[in-house]
Amino acid sequence: MSVSTRPVVAATLRPGAWGFRLGLLLALAGVAVLAAAIAALLVLGIGVWGNNIPHVWGFDLIAYAWWIGIANAASLFAAVLVLRRHGLRTAVNRFAEAVALAAVLASALYPILHLGRPWLFHWTVAYPATTGLWPQFGSPLVWDFWGIMAHVIVTALFWYIGLIPDLATLRDRTATQGRLGLARTYGLFALGWRGSVVHWHRHQAAYRLVAALVLPLLLSAQTVVALEFATTLVPAWHQARLPVHMVVTGLPSGLGVVLAMAAVLRHALSIERIIDDTDMDLLARLLACAALASGAAYAHEIFTGLVFAKGAAQEAFTARAFGAGAPAYWGAILLSVLLPQLLWRPGLRLRAAVLIPVGLLAAAGVWLDRWSLVVGGLLRERLPTHAVAYVPTAAEWALLAGSAALFGAVLLLFGRAIPVVAIFEIRHEESLEDVAEEER
Amino acid sequence: MTRPPPYGAIAEFAEAETLVAAVRAARAAGWSRLEAHAPHPVPDAAIALGARAAPVGWIAVGAGIMGAAIAYGTAWYLSVYDYPLNVGGRPPHAWPAFLPAAYIVGVLWAAVAALIGMLWLNGLPSLHHPVFYARGFHRASQDRYFLYLMAEDPRFEAASALDFLRTLDALRVSEVRAA
Repeated sequence: MSVSTRPVVAATLRPGAWGFRLGLLLALAGVAVLAAAIAALLVLGIGVWGNNIPHVWGFDLIAYAWWIGIANAASLFAAVLVLRRHGLRTAVNRFAEAVALAAVLASALYPILHLGRPWLFHWTVAYPATTGLWPQFGSPLVWDFWGIMAHVIVTALFWYIGLIPDLATLRDRTATQGRLGLARTYGLFALGWRGSVVHWHRHQAAYRLVAALVLPLLLSAQTVVALEFATTLVPAWHQARLPVHMVVTGLPSGLGVVLAMAAVLRHALSIERIIDDTDMDLLARLLACAALASGAAYAHEIFTGLVFAKGAAQEAFTARAFGAGAPAYWGAILLSVLLPQLLWRPGLRLRAAVLIPVGLLAAAGVWLDRWSLVVGGLLRERLPTHAVAYVPTAAEWALLAGSAALFGAVLLLFGRAIPVVAIFEIRHEESLEDVAEEER
Repeated sequence: MTRPPPYGAIAEFAEAETLVAAVRAARAAGWSRLEAHAPHPVPDAAIALGARAAPVGWIAVGAGIMGAAIAYGTAWYLSVYDYPLNVGGRPPHAWPAFLPAAYIVGVLWAAVAALIGMLWLNGLPSLHHPVFYARGFHRASQDRYFLYLMAEDPRFEAASALDFLRTLDALRVSEVRAA
């Protein structure tokens, strides 16, 4: 075992530290809250939520769009690293993939739960039913069913393909330590990987291919979510620019979460050598860049809303940006566009005390944008009834907190059971460095 | 009782470059059934062994096109043939609306086929393989490189195979036998 990958394997195999146990305990408590919130929804019905006319969508779609955004940006980042064969990929692509997978699992909860009768969600599948009805393929809700399913499966595959050789490493390590039960478990999932160079050749081809396939899928995943809004007649939603807006403004959330995770992990697992200062520096600058791109999307939105939009569309935008929805709208810009600009200062890019809050607040800012879109878009009632403000209920807050806890629990368990950074890629990089040194 | 014949002969190396040189030497010496093992991708050794990655791509592309065609065909069959629904006079064959699902399902099939195709071409999963009997082989997933001459090779003979491997600058040369 090369010296530098030892801490990674050790971190995976060592008995849990108190910090990990405490974190996992908290996360599992949160998952229990999630279970209670789901049980309340199933037993009492969708009335436990604050949704009502005109606010047909609330926390359910906000959280869904938000989690999808995190998953998208994290997988986009991982896929680009793999495709570019970038040095940074050894350090962060594995847990960027894990973040994406955990986020996509959290997001997949919401569209099912918001159906009203979640136990009938299989009606979106095209199967010959006794009702004689088929799904309506003209509806974005049906595209979304395929979109989410494909997103979950492809994200999981991308993560798993990269993991196979590392599982074989863990199989062999645990077997030499005499922990045979564990070795068999890892061995089963390593599928009998024996490191044949011919197998490696095809493995790398498949890994890069799936990375390339993740890209068009990400575009479509977030786009289909946006189309669910854009195909309605709600003025704030009925815009051709919405898919691009959601893809671009979603970027700071995923990159922010990956950055915060990287800052936590390198200290918690003592792997500062592997996720080194250059990696953190690059990741922080990427977040600042994504925030700039996101700022351009907001600028376009403001310009379009004030200058080009007419009538109802302009009113809808002014209500979101300058009316009752203003705090969420400008809060989103403050947290996800302006705050990450701090990271252009080199001194701040290496301080965990700065990176963790900036990363997480960028993600929170994107959540505010989704709130502004979903709730702010429906603020204006176009029927002559009194408009009721949307107020989330305890059940909705519990669901949001619970899905965040589920996300945390999945990541903590990943961090324990499997290597958080790709072992084989570090070895590969080191062997290339050796060659370069000898030639010097 | 006579010992069963060995599964093959194996040499262990410390460096990737020595493995590449050894693979080339073995190919030049006429060995045809051999496998090289490394803890990370060694493209030069794979190419020397005649590995081609392109079939993985073709499998994925074929499956992707098929998946997209099936998804589009399903949407067409349901909405145009089996249960046409007149919504405000819109055409039942709304091809732009059929595209997102077809595109997504195509990508899904391609990704699944890339994994399954890679495993199938590699002959995995196979939880057991004779090379796992080799001494010290657990380090093939950590920091050592191996060249394995299989007994299936028509010119395999234990003594001559070991002699050949000893010429290759290996750390250790041994027969592969059931434990």
